[in-house]
Amino acid sequence: MRGSLIGTVIEREWRTRVTKRSFLIGTLLMPFLSVGLVVATVLLTDATDTSNLILVEDAPGLITRLDQASGQYVPRCPGCFPEREKHAYRFVREAPVDSVWQAEGYTVLVEFDESILQNHAGYMVYEKSPGVNAKRYVERDLSRAVEHARVLESTALDWSAYQELKVDIQLFDREVTDGGDRTDGGGEEIRGIIGFLFSAVLFLVLAVYGGLILRSVVEEKSNRVVEVLIAAVQPEALLLGKVIGMGAVALTQIVAWSLLSTLAFTAFQWAFDSGAFTAGMVADGGVPIDLMTTMAENEFTAILLDINWGLMVLSTVAFFVGGYLLYGSLYAAIGGLVQSEQEGQGMVFPVIMPLMFSYVIGSGAMSNPEMDILPWLSWFPLTSPVIMLVRVAVGVAWWEVALSWLLLMLTARGVLALAGRAYRQGVLHNGNSTGWGLLRQWLQGHGK
Amino acid sequence: MSHALSLTQLRKSYGTQSVLDGVSFDVPKGAIVGLLGPNGAGKSTLIRSIMGIVAPDEGVIQLDGEPWSRERVRGIGYLPEERGLYKDMRVGDQAVYFSRLKGMGKSEAVRELRSWFEKLEVEGWWDKKVSDISKGMAQKIQFICTVVHKPGLLILDEPLSGFDPINARLIIQQVRALAADGTSILLSTHDMPSVERLCDNVVLINQGQVVLSGAADDLRESGWAGEQDVVFKGNDIAFTNALGTLAHLDSIGPDTVEGTRRAHLRLRETTPPGQLLQALSEAIEVLEFVKVRPTMESLFIQAVNASETPAT
Repeated sequence: MRGSLIGTVIEREWRTRVTKRSFLIGTLLMPFLSVGLVVATVLLTDATDTSNLILVEDAPGLITRLDQASGQYVPRCPGCFPEREKHAYRFVREAPVDSVWQAEGYTVLVEFDESILQNHAGYMVYEKSPGVNAKRYVERDLSRAVEHARVLESTALDWSAYQELKVDIQLFDREVTDGGDRTDGGGEEIRGIIGFLFSAVLFLVLAVYGGLILRSVVEEKSNRVVEVLIAAVQPEALLLGKVIGMGAVALTQIVAWSLLSTLAFTAFQWAFDSGAFTAGMVADGGVPIDLMTTMAENEFTAILLDINWGLMVLSTVAFFVGGYLLYGSLYAAIGGLVQSEQEGQGMVFPVIMPLMFSYVIGSGAMSNPEMDILPWLSWFPLTSPVIMLVRVAVGVAWWEVALSWLLLMLTARGVLALAGRAYRQGVLHNGNSTGWGLLRQWLQGHGK
Repeated sequence: MSHALSLTQLRKSYGTQSVLDGVSFDVPKGAIVGLLGPNGAGKSTLIRSIMGIVAPDEGVIQLDGEPWSRERVRGIGYLPEERGLYKDMRVGDQAVYFSRLKGMGKSEAVRELRSWFEKLEVEGWWDKKVSDISKGMAQKIQFICTVVHKPGLLILDEPLSGFDPINARLIIQQVRALAADGTSILLSTHDMPSVERLCDNVVLINQGQVVLSGAADDLRESGWAGEQDVVFKGNDIAFTNALGTLAHLDSIGPDTVEGTRRAHLRLRETTPPGQLLQALSEAIEVLEFVKVRPTMESLFIQAVNASETPAT
């Protein structure tokens, strides 16, 4: 019977919140905002690119030749200057004065002389900046064209033979573990950032939902519903129902965010890869541009590709459950001991200190994910929900994660029982003292 | 016969302050018992002890002749004095929630609630939010949530506060109907007219102790101090002469019907009412000879004052 009563309380807490307009808006909006941020990052660069018609003045005749058929100068190196949607080249030996090439519709003039072979430098002349991408394209294309010229000039190789001989070395990180094994490693800083992003989300969710529990308990006291409730449900069961109910709301939101984000991202990827945003654009090798390649080229979106989403979401949910039960029950107990939300905020501060401390340490771990204190904090239940996520992202033995989670759950279980008694004392209390005074009374054993 | 509720020597203290000091009384099955007492007398603590909201230090509480248990308490219909509803919930959802906490299934709760909503004329408010309904309407919803699971014992703490006279009458009718159907009711109130209209038994507590208890009629009868109203036709002097030393005349004046007089008397302790009636009938024409019993309010004040007067 007790179980079904708790179930009824859980159902009410869950239903009344997930059917609120604010919840629906927040749940629907968040994934689209976060995926929108990625979309914007990928697309905005392209969208904000102005069309550039670039005049390349090859005065020394290093990289171009006259095409007899068309009477135009064309690159000696095939494929070095690919045509892009908003980025086209024309080549001349001698450029007219600035006002003339501008009047002819060119937006950029690229100048260099023979010294480019030694000092690898030239000039980019424009009235309005052509944008970061345009500059990057010109630098890359010109580099390859000059490289082509140097190969032909200095070696007996032809260009295609050189291309085949050319190698790009890529180094993959391997870390030696304490046990002497080698594992995929390195990139700790990037992964530290990823871990911190997840722990920051967890910190926010714990703080926000803890605050909601506090408000809900205080509201029940002030609107006098609690007297009716505890006539039917024992205070400890009521607290458990409230904490689990609100936790279910948070989990619903996290799961909805994950699913909707995946859905939105997949839709965007499909649209992107099918050319909806990139019609006519090709990568260097002449293959169509795909989203993953594009994201990998961007510093911000590249981080997202580095995330092991399955592991991180699973760890976030697991440590959320433990952290939420622990902190949520403390918030509920405080709600029971105080008369107003304002009074509750004063009591919450010392309780939330470990959480804030772990957030600060977590942010420090971004730049130094191998801090000595991290392992200790990732096992200590009051800080483990936030800190362990950073370590999971950087890489940690599975048994450490399991042990830390077990410790967290056991502590949460104990705190829940203790919070239930404090909550009982608070909601059933009939005297004048509240907050700290009431807590002191209870601890001294007067609160029967 | 077992009682719906039986309290024996209930004691409760907060620190050094004794709030309940050996309270004992019964609520017979099917009876309406008025629980009276001045503010701070211990009524709320008593009710909260019965409901398991506070734990008494000593004493025995029996429900239906059985020892107190949480499960039995859940069967009680409890309307606390300080009561409220969730403002952001719809009225119907909220009533269903409270019903389910009382052990009802969802469909059963909806069916019973719909019937009660109709009885109390609030059927149109099912889908409204509590924040959109009036205080009186909310009171009706709270009353419905208290009685919907057909409790054998109802504990109503100031059930009429906040009601206008029309709605108060509606609630009184429902309380009577519930009692007629066999529900036992403990009614805590300061509203003395409703006590007189509703209660079979009365328990008056002051300073944590029962200072008066018994059947309401018996208490009023035993509290009778010889007061008598007489309506008559005749001469005031003849009337006064007939009283002689049998009774003391408090007041005399015209009654509502023209040519009739009304007198208020107090009989001497040694005078039987029959003897006075005979003496008066010989002198004037007696139209009415009515025993004036004390009101619950006057009994209440008397008992409270007596309990607070130090013994000499």
